Amino acid sequence: MPTKEEVFEKIQAALVDALGVDDEDVTPEATLVGDLGAESIDFLDIVFRLEKAFDIKIPRGELFPEDILTDSKYIQEGKVTETGLAELRKRMPFANLDQFAKNPAVQDFGNLLTVADMCRFVEGKVEVTD
Amino acid sequence: MRFEGKTAIVTGGSRGIGRACVARLAAEGAKVAFVYNSNRQAAESLLDELKSAPGEVRALQADVRDLQRAHQLVDSLFDEWERIDVLINSAGVVKDGLLGAMTADQWREVIETNLGGTFNYCHAVTQPMMMARRGSIVNLSSTAAEFAARGQVNYAASKGGINGLTRALAKELAPRNVRVNAIAPGMIETDMSQVVRGIAGDQIKKMIPLKRIGRPEEIASVAAFLASDEAAYLTGQVVRVDGGLSLGGY
Repeated sequence: MPTKEEVFEKIQAALVDALGVDDEDVTPEATLVGDLGAESIDFLDIVFRLEKAFDIKIPRGELFPEDILTDSKYIQEGKVTETGLAELRKRMPFANLDQFAKNPAVQDFGNLLTVADMCRFVEGKVEVTD
Repeated sequence: MRFEGKTAIVTGGSRGIGRACVARLAAEGAKVAFVYNSNRQAAESLLDELKSAPGEVRALQADVRDLQRAHQLVDSLFDEWERIDVLINSAGVVKDGLLGAMTADQWREVIETNLGGTFNYCHAVTQPMMMARRGSIVNLSSTAAEFAARGQVNYAASKGGINGLTRALAKELAPRNVRVNAIAPGMIETDMSQVVRGIAGDQIKKMIPLKRIGRPEEIASVAAFLASDEAAYLTGQVVRVDGGLSLGGY
């Protein structure tokens, strides 16, 4: 059973490998897109590496629900609708959407997800000790 | 040998162009696993034929329309080989008929095998190739994708789909150093083309500037080039290998 610190270290290693960033860039507060420069293909790469590192299966779209952001049912004039936000909250319990919800522009969504969110995401999938 | 120490998966490997690709890669030192669907005899004869090839060859039965099986097959090869360098998607069928008389089954079988099978195996190798930051995928298309033939709406659509898939996937995977290309063969001497060749007879040779039908080995040599590091700067292309058939004109 990994500790929270071990979870962070594995996530850090996965992000370093997937994004070609340095260890010290991967802080809990760092955003994946804004600070670490992740693009859509990188999220798939990150998911592959997390699956391997933690020996888990991550359904595609669970970590980064791109399908919601490209579904006209949830998007109006470049912004996520209330229904879309509700769906995002349901799908991303590990992320804090409060700030994003104030001005939910799709183009800003990438800046939402932080390394700490990813740690919470993984901690929801593997048993962790303190 | 260009493929020494490398590994390859070839779908539709027991016959025709796929068979020639298996032989070519094995001759150049690759470990090759080829996928066949129903013709076990053809698969066994290929294994026998390549017993003394420099590479290793094995045959695996699978229906390429089955995505779960594709993943299972690729995952077990990856567990053993620890690398997947090359995928050649060559599995294909023809079920010709004029559209007005074509059954839904004829349509589905061709689309699901040719295009669906290509999707399935690309899907299965994406993870190991992306993570390794290395890989080459070669999809077998056809000149039929762009040059109309009566009675082939299903086949033409499946091959046109492969061209689109190839270009889009090439763009997706390029940042991970995985290349995706396609080959569009013209008239090639295979079991699959024998009906058309039989009907058209020598007329077809007159339409081909090189005045002859191509051999599967001539497609395999291009596939091997695209799969090799010699084509390291080539991705998202559909290479026509058709003796000049697609040039048109007089």
